[in-house]
Amino acid sequence: MSKKECIAMLLAGGQGSRLGVLTRDIAKPAVSFGAKYRIIDFALSNCANSGVDTVGVLTQYRPYLLHSYIGSGAAWNLDEGDGGVSILPPYATQTGGAWYAGTADAVTQNIGFIEQNDPDYVLILSGDQLYRMDYQKMLENHKRHNADLTVAVMPVPWEDASRFGIITQDDDERILKFTEKPNKPDSNLASMGIYIFNAKLLVDTLKEDATDQTSEHDFGKNIIPKLLADGKRLYTYEFQGFWRDVGTIASYHETSMDLLGLQPDFDLYDAENPIMSNAGAKPPAYVGPNGAIDDCLVGNGAQIFGSVRHSIVSTSAYVGERAVVEDSVLLPGATVKDGAHVVRAILGENSVVEDNVVLGSVDQTKDTAVIGNDVVVGKGEE
Amino acid sequence: MEKLIGLVTANYSTKYPSALSETRPVASVPYLGRYRVVDFALSNMANAGIRTVGLIMPYNYRSLIDHVGSGRDWNLSRKKGGLFILPGSAFGTSRTGSRFLLRDLEHNKVYLKRSTADLVILSSASFVYNMDYNQLTAVHSQSGADITVVTKSATEKDVDVTGFVVDDGRVHGIRHGVSFGDEAFLDCFVVRREFLLNLLDWYEQNDYLDLFEALSGDYGRVDVRTYRFDGYAEPIFNKDAYFRSNMQMLDPKVTAELFPAERPIMTKAHDNAPAKFESGSHVSNSAVSGSCRIYGTVTNSILGRSVVVESGATVNNSIVMQSCVIKSGARVENAIVDRNNVVPAGTELRGTPDDLFIKEKAAD
Repeated sequence: MSKKECIAMLLAGGQGSRLGVLTRDIAKPAVSFGAKYRIIDFALSNCANSGVDTVGVLTQYRPYLLHSYIGSGAAWNLDEGDGGVSILPPYATQTGGAWYAGTADAVTQNIGFIEQNDPDYVLILSGDQLYRMDYQKMLENHKRHNADLTVAVMPVPWEDASRFGIITQDDDERILKFTEKPNKPDSNLASMGIYIFNAKLLVDTLKEDATDQTSEHDFGKNIIPKLLADGKRLYTYEFQGFWRDVGTIASYHETSMDLLGLQPDFDLYDAENPIMSNAGAKPPAYVGPNGAIDDCLVGNGAQIFGSVRHSIVSTSAYVGERAVVEDSVLLPGATVKDGAHVVRAILGENSVVEDNVVLGSVDQTKDTAVIGNDVVVGKGEE
Repeated sequence: MEKLIGLVTANYSTKYPSALSETRPVASVPYLGRYRVVDFALSNMANAGIRTVGLIMPYNYRSLIDHVGSGRDWNLSRKKGGLFILPGSAFGTSRTGSRFLLRDLEHNKVYLKRSTADLVILSSASFVYNMDYNQLTAVHSQSGADITVVTKSATEKDVDVTGFVVDDGRVHGIRHGVSFGDEAFLDCFVVRREFLLNLLDWYEQNDYLDLFEALSGDYGRVDVRTYRFDGYAEPIFNKDAYFRSNMQMLDPKVTAELFPAERPIMTKAHDNAPAKFESGSHVSNSAVSGSCRIYGTVTNSILGRSVVVESGATVNNSIVMQSCVIKSGARVENAIVDRNNVVPAGTELRGTPDDLFIKEKAAD
């Protein structure tokens, strides 16, 4: 095995419990997004497009779909003979073994994977974020600063700042202060949870953290503050552009809608840095004689006979005659039968809205309606 | 269960090539926006569990090899078996219309000899259909026939399709071209591997012939039987048949039959984005492939991948292939627009339903 300059550890074990029924049976990184993708496509595509060819994917919660979806990694050109994708679930050892108990703990338990690849740098990624980033640029930044750790950051609205790890830096982008989810943020520069560590320092720090009974074994809460306190060289890499962590149903819905319009914030059509996916071969989308589509993304295999406005119609989704769909997200295989009316709703994979059912509300003060995967909504059940 | 391998022949041309098939082999003519004709032969084999397939190449193989690659998209990239790219004879494309040219098969005897399979399914890449080959092989093995050919009842005259003279299910001869009601050959047959090798030895001196021509004097002693396929199956040898078959894909009942979930038609994977139907677009009775961006009007048409229809442009009763741009105010009607064309603003590409306009592909 040749030596790798930089490998990625992709944290994909989270449940994403605030996504409710969408993550009842599948991990958040496996949730469908943008008509033909799953959320993890974005991080895997970024790795492939950045030339990071060795990716450990740390899985834990409901992993079957995620595992089969990633497969050999070929869909992202990550089926490398030397490197490629390795799926890293929790495992047993002679002394027992344990579940991943925090972001840092998950990586600690896979120090063996890092040592096996013997990289100079380790890129820590989250499998549930939507963005396009060239990690090589971040790595160049890291090397230019002769940094021990580089944290990708972006400015966030002040009112959201207390949801993030907040950073204060000096004029040279060196981190002076890092506070995880502060009540009273003194900066709006937020950590994106994307880190580049010098590999040796990461391994040493994780080993030390593992013995600390008081630690929650979390990068934001424990590892970064410790390195800062130790006087290590921590720098930022400022990212500009579209970046979303869809934590809730509302933000999932909003972020989906962000893909629509004439000039959406995120360009799905960048052929140089495509978002790749493991999509099966389906025929092109079909629009029936009475179909009417306005401002929609439509995946292959979808069939639309009714009216759909400002919505995402994913792979093999179906909209029947006289049905109306507005401001909604139809996940793969979702079916809206004849005459049904769906507004501001998320329909789970292979869910069914029966004939003439009315679902959801235009009233913005009401929550987005969500139907779980495989659920059938009949008349009187809406 | 008997072991099966496949052999797909792609080294032939058509009697009446159009601009679509002049620049590429028939096997790699685009179909229904995102497919190529060879996908049907390869997928039918893959769906029958066949994991060893030879593909006999035409001399102009660039587009075909680009499409099939390692065969991975048909589960044919394998340590054992997999996709074998086989050389076609120089004679192939000049011997118009022969889909099972003996010289091509003789050239590639080694592919058959090295196999230990019991049966070989041979297919050209010229028909659009989705068939369960396991039923074919079961019937073949039960009947004791030497060769079982897949046929359908011809629905119209087609000079490019091979017909069989059949009596009581047994083939007595062939005809070049079929008329309504004739037994039309779907260019697919199954034969025992050892028997095929024997045939190739017998006909070694006549290798300029098509296998089924060579058999003409021998239908008495070689037991060739038909297997009727009742599903959707259409040849695409000429532009009118090609256009009509594509347009039949605008009927969801037909696509449901041709693209069932349990036997998917597989094709080269691309990283296309979803299609985007912008505000103000009007699309009806049309098939729209990935990465298309539609601002204008599209009716009764099929769009390949990454086609842009600008605002004020109209596409009606047409096939527009990959990466074309229909500029603002342009009009495309009763036309087949091959890939990479930019139809300038305000211009028209118009044929009539009886005389389609064909725009050959433009340079990359």
